Amino acid sequence: MAPSDASNDFSLEGKTALVVGAEHSVGRAAAVTLAEAGAKIVLASQEPGTDKQLNAVAKLVTAAGAKPLIRVQSASMRADLSATADFAAKQLGALDILVNALDTPAYGPAEASDDTAYDKIFENNFKTIWMSCQEGARVMLRQGGGVIVNITSVLAERGVPNAALYCATKAAVLNLTRALALEWARKGIRVNAIQAGWLDDEASPANKNDEFSKNLLKYLPDNRLVKPEELGGALLYLVSPAAGFVTGESIAVDGGLRARV
Amino acid sequence: MILDSLKLNGKVAIITGAGRGLGRAMAVKFAETGADIVAAARTQSQLDETADAVRKTGRKCLIVPTDVTDSAQVNALAEAALKEFGKIDILINNAGGGDGSLGKQLPEITDDEWRRGLDTNLSSQFYGCRAVIPQMVKQKRGKIINIASGYGLRGGKHNFMYACSKGGTIQLTRSMALTYAQFNIQTNCIVPGIFPHNEQMMVFFKGGKFIPIGRVGDDSELGPLAVFLASDASNHVNGELIAIDGGGLAGGIAPTGVSPESSN
Repeated sequence: MAPSDASNDFSLEGKTALVVGAEHSVGRAAAVTLAEAGAKIVLASQEPGTDKQLNAVAKLVTAAGAKPLIRVQSASMRADLSATADFAAKQLGALDILVNALDTPAYGPAEASDDTAYDKIFENNFKTIWMSCQEGARVMLRQGGGVIVNITSVLAERGVPNAALYCATKAAVLNLTRALALEWARKGIRVNAIQAGWLDDEASPANKNDEFSKNLLKYLPDNRLVKPEELGGALLYLVSPAAGFVTGESIAVDGGLRARV
Repeated sequence: MILDSLKLNGKVAIITGAGRGLGRAMAVKFAETGADIVAAARTQSQLDETADAVRKTGRKCLIVPTDVTDSAQVNALAEAALKEFGKIDILINNAGGGDGSLGKQLPEITDDEWRRGLDTNLSSQFYGCRAVIPQMVKQKRGKIINIASGYGLRGGKHNFMYACSKGGTIQLTRSMALTYAQFNIQTNCIVPGIFPHNEQMMVFFKGGKFIPIGRVGDDSELGPLAVFLASDASNHVNGELIAIDGGGLAGGIAPTGVSPESSN
């Protein structure tokens, strides 16, 4: 018997993927990973006017081996996510993989946070993911299965000062993941999450060389931030057929942060 | 390339409990992925079968009969691996399991049974970590994977030694992860759900039909997860537990309406 190639376990040749939130660093990294593994891809943004960012991501994805299609929100959130899921299924032939990578940071004292801030962060970080799961699953249930990965944060399970609403939205995504996993477990849809540690990206409050960043680095087990592309391994494992018995689970990519006191 | 980072070409992996079940499945998968294997277990004949399967892939397999509850033998295992291959990239602390006292009434459990239960599942993993860590520190790289259980996170009636030792596995994993993160050594935990190589447990768990996904796991499904955790694709995953349980821990078992204790 010829030795089998390990990459077969994780290959996404012939698979199709929709990345919602592809304009964010983790969405970009997710799309590149999926492309490298052989998937066909639709990049979507729920932020109107992000065509330029998505085109830049598309270049990276193309270099990684896929020729992605692009969709920027042009209708209400519900209508757009619904149309995007249908678009991906129609253009790519199916919707096998849905990655929800939306992440809007929000920091500031709780007592100064107004109702508008509340609505905005829950809309961006939770409602979009909820609706995207619903609309993606609608297509997946019709075709007999699929896999969803929601990107959340280690702050889903840890609090930090001045980020109460952010922490709350991340926890909501984590437990949404578990509940949906159970609901669709016997209908062929696996739902998992990735919890990113403190990221080294353009939106991060942790790479500013200020006192907060310096203290944080000392606290991190290996004294460094997470590069968005380091989420790729966990993502690929979770979406691959090799993880067929994994659902309702979350993998933290945080260098050990969540393990410590 | 992400797919390249998921290969184990030229890596050396010690796997305990490699004589059967999940341990053998991981050994073969690792070999298929390019690793040489150091297979440890108590029973020589079972190790021979594992070694045959490993060698069929074209990789090397060193057999080291080992009682993992004896730290001197575990130290000798690490030394044998180092002597044969000159390095230790990966350790999978897989040996362990339930014992005859599972389900026994608390007052009936003897001191010996308590100690044996903890030794088999927890002390063995501690001995394994302790035996390989000097070499991994010297290399400034290493991957340790401890096999736990859902009972390490949740309790069960009349389940004492097993639950306590598997809970200890999880804390051992976290302490290892934090202590050796600076040395580029990642320690993680796999939390397997119900896998069908243990007839006694299969009966107890009603064939696994209460599992949310509707089926039990297959031994072959553990390999790719272990490969991920042993590979460069997980270099920033540390101190983490990954359940592979068909959704079992996501909600407990009640939501399916078919718990192990119920008759349907």
